[in-house]
Amino acid sequence: MTMPVSPLQDGQAIRLSDVCKSYGDYPVLRHINAEVGRGEVVVICGPSGSGKSTLIRTVNRLEEINSGSINFEGQNIHAPMRGRELNRLRSRIGFVFQSFNLFPHLSAVENVSMSPIRVKGVSADVARDKAIKLLDRVGLADKANSYPGQLSGGQQQRVAIARALAMEPPVMLFDEPTSALDPEMVGEVLSVMKSLAADGMTMLCVTHEMGFARDVADRIWFIDAGEILEMAPPKDFFQNPRHPRAQRFLSDLRH
Amino acid sequence: MIQDIITIIHDYWLLLLIGQYPNGPLGGLANTIILSLLAILLAFPVSILLALARLSKWRALRWPVTGLVYVTRGVPLLMLILWCYFLVPLWTGADVPSFLIMLVTLVVYEGAFLSEVVRAGIVSLGQGQMDAARALGHSHLSAMRFVILPQALYNMIPSMISTFVSTIKDTTLGYVINVPDLTFAASQVNNQLFTQPFQVFIILAAVYYVLCWSLTYVANSLERRIARRRAGPRRNARLATEAVPLKTLVEQP
Ligand SMILES: Nc1ncnc2c1ncn2[C@@H]1O[C@H](COP(=O)(O)OP(=O)(O)OP(=O)(O)O)[C@@H](O)[C@H]1O
Ligand SMILES: [Mg+2]
Repeated sequence: MTMPVSPLQDGQAIRLSDVCKSYGDYPVLRHINAEVGRGEVVVICGPSGSGKSTLIRTVNRLEEINSGSINFEGQNIHAPMRGRELNRLRSRIGFVFQSFNLFPHLSAVENVSMSPIRVKGVSADVARDKAIKLLDRVGLADKANSYPGQLSGGQQQRVAIARALAMEPPVMLFDEPTSALDPEMVGEVLSVMKSLAADGMTMLCVTHEMGFARDVADRIWFIDAGEILEMAPPKDFFQNPRHPRAQRFLSDLRH
Repeated sequence: MIQDIITIIHDYWLLLLIGQYPNGPLGGLANTIILSLLAILLAFPVSILLALARLSKWRALRWPVTGLVYVTRGVPLLMLILWCYFLVPLWTGADVPSFLIMLVTLVVYEGAFLSEVVRAGIVSLGQGQMDAARALGHSHLSAMRFVILPQALYNMIPSMISTFVSTIKDTTLGYVINVPDLTFAASQVNNQLFTQPFQVFIILAAVYYVLCWSLTYVANSLERRIARRRAGPRRNARLATEAVPLKTLVEQP
């Protein structure tokens, strides 16, 4: 069952301790031990099916785990707790999905302002002003009244980022935010993510965009078969990966 | 023949329209419509509650409600009417008007049917919408109320109208417990004339047909409009399933 949570050290935002998860007999995450520093940008990479999505979804408890703990702001996200407490913690962790998951019945500005109003109780006017500022920040001020169906994939994903930011989370998680996009739209989403990183946001990103990893990440976690095999700054990871499977992964990428 | 029908309509239109009102209870077509409308309006919230219970993570809620829905859908409506007719007075100890018994039966019956539509509407939205709402900090109920149900119920409008049409047809079964509706009025007319059952029941069939057909027409055109709205807005978005992550493995310079 859940172990006592290991405390955060100075400057840490998230700490995963001995996290294990399996589907039936099949282990997806094996003894994950890792931490993310405040303001740090971590890129998670690894082959398909290695457990990247599962890992990142355990951080805001969209997936349950079998054992271990995840410390966020001094609390174990996976401890038994009241629904209301979990919702409060979740609202402090932004999540951006591969498939955007915008609310199609709401306009862009309503997508961004709805949760501050309904979850945090912010007044409608204040939330709307804030939403317009955020849409401006992701370059979509002119699309405030468009519905998700009227936006391109890249625009939808930028609205989704603005929607997550509207809750003012100190941490943002990204699960392959550009994988569902046409190639010409990847850049606009990555540049929003870069500007977030430059503003000091703590970010945990699953992505196959190695250029982004090289330029923006502080550290790379390489995961294979549910284990983190390598944690290194991008320079070290790309120039001399130590683990054979990381070497194979990178050489496959180059071809 | 045509002449007979015109004469019957001429002589009995008021009875067919409102029954014996104001000298007796409201009946006829008016009562049929009131009964159907009340039934569908009450069945609607009931169906949402049943659907939410069936999707609940608590077995203690899910299993009994699933059983109830299955039983209700699995027995003929006439059976339910007779059960209610004999059970409700036993239970309440009072003389319950047949209109009320029919209303309760229809609400349970149509509620169970609609709950399947609501449930399918919720499930068809996919897990992504719920995940997105939960990740923003919405509770399960808040996600349902602000994200899931508005979409599911909007898509459901045509099914609601078709269910309303079946409700109208189902009210005719109230005849067996003497609910004073259009069918009941027609049979009163038939009893008075005695020699023209064919003509009387042609009128009855025609009224039901026109009513149901026009509602079905509305449902179909709404359905087309909703399908268009759903298809149109999505045209730019590539579905996640189309994306092949490995193809986007690009080394950027
Ligand atoms: N609900 C589930 N039931 C059973 N197995 C699952 C389930 N979800 C994921 N898995 C399995 O767990 C493993 C890890 O899946 P996950 O989605 O985390 O991989 P990933 O690294 O994100 O892969 P990708 O790059 O394809 O997105 C896979 O082998 C997958 O088949
Ligand atoms: Mg994944």
